[in-house]
Order: sequence, then C-alpha cells, then structure tokens
Amino acid sequence: MGTSLIGHIDADCFYVSCERIRSYSLRGVPCGVLGNQGACVIAKSYELKPYGVKTGHPIWEAKKLCPHAVFVKRDFRWYEVISRKLLELLKTVSPLVEYYSIDEMFFDASELSRYFQLPLQAANRALQTLVQEQIGIPVSIGIAPSRTLAKLGSDASKPFGVRVIEKECEPFLRSQPVGELCGVGSRSAKKLRDRNIHTCWDYRQADRLMIRNLLTIKGEALWWELRGDAVNSIQTSRPPHKAIARGGSCGGKTMDPDRIRAWAVRNIERLIEALDHHRVYAGHISLQIDANKTALWLGRTPLAVPSASFRTIYDAAMPMLAAAPTSHPVSHMHIIAENLTWRDKIQKSLFFEEAQSPLDQLKHDINQKLGRFAIRSAETLPLHEIYHDATHNYDICDISGKMCF
Amino acid sequence: MFLMCTGITLAWRDIPTKLIRKYQLEERMIQRSETADKEILFLQRHRQPLLPVFYQGELQILPWGNRQRNRNAPLAWWCEVSTLESGAWSIYHPEPVEIQANFGLERGVWFQIREGIQGTIIHDQHEQPYVYLLLQPASHYYQVMTGYHREPVFLGEQI
Repeated sequence: MGTSLIGHIDADCFYVSCERIRSYSLRGVPCGVLGNQGACVIAKSYELKPYGVKTGHPIWEAKKLCPHAVFVKRDFRWYEVISRKLLELLKTVSPLVEYYSIDEMFFDASELSRYFQLPLQAANRALQTLVQEQIGIPVSIGIAPSRTLAKLGSDASKPFGVRVIEKECEPFLRSQPVGELCGVGSRSAKKLRDRNIHTCWDYRQADRLMIRNLLTIKGEALWWELRGDAVNSIQTSRPPHKAIARGGSCGGKTMDPDRIRAWAVRNIERLIEALDHHRVYAGHISLQIDANKTALWLGRTPLAVPSASFRTIYDAAMPMLAAAPTSHPVSHMHIIAENLTWRDKIQKSLFFEEAQSPLDQLKHDINQKLGRFAIRSAETLPLHEIYHDATHNYDICDISGKMCF
Repeated sequence: MFLMCTGITLAWRDIPTKLIRKYQLEERMIQRSETADKEILFLQRHRQPLLPVFYQGELQILPWGNRQRNRNAPLAWWCEVSTLESGAWSIYHPEPVEIQANFGLERGVWFQIREGIQGTIIHDQHEQPYVYLLLQPASHYYQVMTGYHREPVFLGEQI
C-alpha cells in the first residue's frame, strides 16, 4: 500500500533507555550495556560516548576509557517488552507500522497531523512526547516522502530530535555523507567516493544508470528514494525467511572438543525451536565455525527430506564438525537451516523418517510447559555455566517479527 | 587485603540527612555526570569502612567488617555463603541483613545492583555491630565482566 508520508522512529540508546525505565539511578550516568558473555559493550549512553567507548569494545578497555562508567547486564526479555509497547503505541496513531528492528520502526505518517490536530512538525513533536510519557524512552523521529529520507531525518536529529523532510531538501542532503545511507556500506561508499559522490545530494544528482551499474538495483532504489519517490513500502509482516541461523560466540576461544560439541548441540536445539516457531522444515544444514571472527570453516549438508528433527539435524551437523580443522581455537559458531519448506506444504514419504519424531514433539511440549531447555541434550552438560544463568536462554534473535536483526 | 567487591554507592537522596551529618558522608559524595544523581561512596579502603544497611526496620550506617583483634567478631570483610551455611560462624550469632546499594565496584568495574546485596551482622562483646558481605562463587557472566571468581549475593537478581 502506498503512503504519501513515511515516518521513522528510532529509540535513542535503546538498551540503556530501557534500563533507565526501571532503574532511576542510571539516569545521567555514563552507562554501557554488556553483551551475552559480559565481555563486550553492545550499547552505550550518550554520556559514555564522549569518552571514546564504542559498541563492541571489550569491558577491560571501556573501564580504562571511563573508570566511573556503570556497566549493566543485558536483558533482552525486558527490551522486548518495551519494544512491543512502542510498537503497540505506534499502531494507535498509524494504520501501517513496520517492526523494522527492536528499536526502529517505520510507520505511515500521512494521518499524523489529523490524529494530533496539529501541523506536521508539531504533530511529530507530539508523538515524541507521547512516547516519552507513555513508555518512558527518548526517541528521534524523521518524517519524509520515502523511507530512506525518513531514516536519514531521524538519524540526523539524534538524540531526542524530530525532523520533517520535504521532497526538495537540497541543503539537508548536502549535509549528509553518503555513508549515512542505510544500505551503503564502507565498500559501496568507497566506490561512490571514487566517482566523486560524497554526499547524499551528489548521490541524488548522479546518473541513475551509473548508480545501478555500480550498486545494483538496490542502489537504484536508494536513488529514487532520495528524490522522495517511495520505492520501498512499509511492510507490516515479515517476509518468509530464506534461512534461519542460530549461534554466536562460544563464550571465549576454545579448543576443548567437548565444549565445541556442546555449543554445536545447543545451537541445534535453538535452531529447531526457531524452525518450530516459524513452522518450517530445513532442506540443508550448514555449519560455520569462526576463529577470531574470521570464517575458519564452512560445511553444508543436504537433508534427504525436509526436517526439523533433532536426530536428523544432529546427524547432518556432527560429521561436518568432526571434519572441521582443530588447529585453531573456535570463537564463534553458527548452524544455518536453508532451503526452508512450509510444514503444511511437505510431501509425505513412506521411506524416510518423519520430519519430527514423537520424541522431538515431547521435548517441545515439556519445554513449552516447564521452560526453555528444561529438557536438553546431555551433550550440552559442559556448558553448565551457560544454562545455570536463565538470561542466556533469551537472545535478540528470539524476538520474532522484526525485519532485521 | 582480600580481593572482593571493594565498594558500593548509594544515592545521596536515599540516605537521611541526619545519617549524612552523623557519619560525615558529604566527604564521600560523588557525581558521575552533571545530570546524574549524587551518590555516597562506601569503599573498603576508606579509613573508616562503612556500609548502609536496612536493619531493624530502618536504614543504618554500620561498620564494614572488623579490623580489631580485641573484638569478639571475625577479622574479615566478608563471609562465604557456604561458610555461613556450614555453621562455622554460628558462635557469633549472625543475623541476615540487606545492604542497600545502587552500584558495586569490583576490580575497577562499576556494575549495577538492582535491589541490594545480602550481608550478615555480628555483634561483639560490647554489642557493637559489624556488617559482612556475603559472597558466593561468581557466575560466568560476573567473572567475565569483572575478572573475579567471587561475587556478592544479590537480592532478586543474578549477574
């Protein structure tokens, strides 16, 4: 559905803001939220930024840069609660809302003025105040004729700003480096710079076909969007996944084969949960092993029939793990399900195992009733410290419905 | 000196003025930024180490551990939960107490404390109370975050 105005709402330092809702003492304090293992800063407050602490910094560096900063353990369940409250609030003021990520949403802003009975800029400010009052988090909002312009607007007005961008917005686009565009990474930015395209205005003024040759059809879509022509519409439901992956850090580098197997089995169990949630079966299973965030090994195994059975996926993944080189310590691991098939579209077979066994179903039912990982494979026992802490049982990727990670 | 949770802070507004005056806590006041709340520091290395505790229905400021050999109280700052549970300190008649804190300090890392931490109070032969932090083996997360293998017993949360 086309809309004449698109809004982009972006929570300011979202994780920290969520923590501040329930902990008044964190207000005004330089604060960092730590990631899954407690080692890296995954979010920081605006008070912490001037000290040079960046997302991804390990805590031992961050504490040197700002010795009086306070660090908080992440709590994705809480962040999801706040995120969904924001989503519900937006749905009361807009007929179309896209759950883009945990802290960003696009919405149809064409009726915003009428809703608040105010001119657009004042209505934008009124929405920001409403979010602050009802949810308690600061947000920045951009409103523009296209998604790309709206996102540029909210990003440029951070923190706690609002901006309405018209179709003709030359001074604003001249002030925005091309690297600020969502979808233009460092490599694309370099290609553009090599052609003397430095700002978003340069991008907009460039030859469309040259942009298309350089950055494919996605680059061309950005070109249209910067001219105020909405190419990418608001999506109210997530398109089906092409692949589903579970994994991440192995809690520090390890060469211990028991721990590496335990991480693989944990990731398989998490992957099966995700396949159950999305009602799909996997046709291929891939295993990626990283050492120091560099892909060390990647294996791919086709399954005889689409499956979400623990035994089938285990039997596909473990030989790949056994074949992986053991010369380097493993830091990260991912198990990826590809070639996904809807569960109600599967061809029944007389000759192969069922896509899920009664044991899989029993495990699923018990964990639904008693809590996640109440029943799990005994091969995960070496990770007792991970299972001992219930907060490890819920990760950002477990928050469903959002468009991107 | 034992290595352990080496300090805490409590918001200045949470401490009654009469206690701030009585224990000259203004000297221990810090503010992490211009817009942050003022806090009172309670460090183990203070000349007179103190802890804010909720005891007998009110907030009290009590000595943190015992340094004097002539007192009938353990010469320590903290007590391992397993030691307390084993009954090794039962001759001192320990009482549970809630230590009030907003933030804790361990090996140079300040971390958030949501509700407080558990402690135990022991009275010496003169009825002078001493507060001891209760410690337990650190969780994986706490150990990575602070680099230390023991953590306080937090109230209502696990770090």
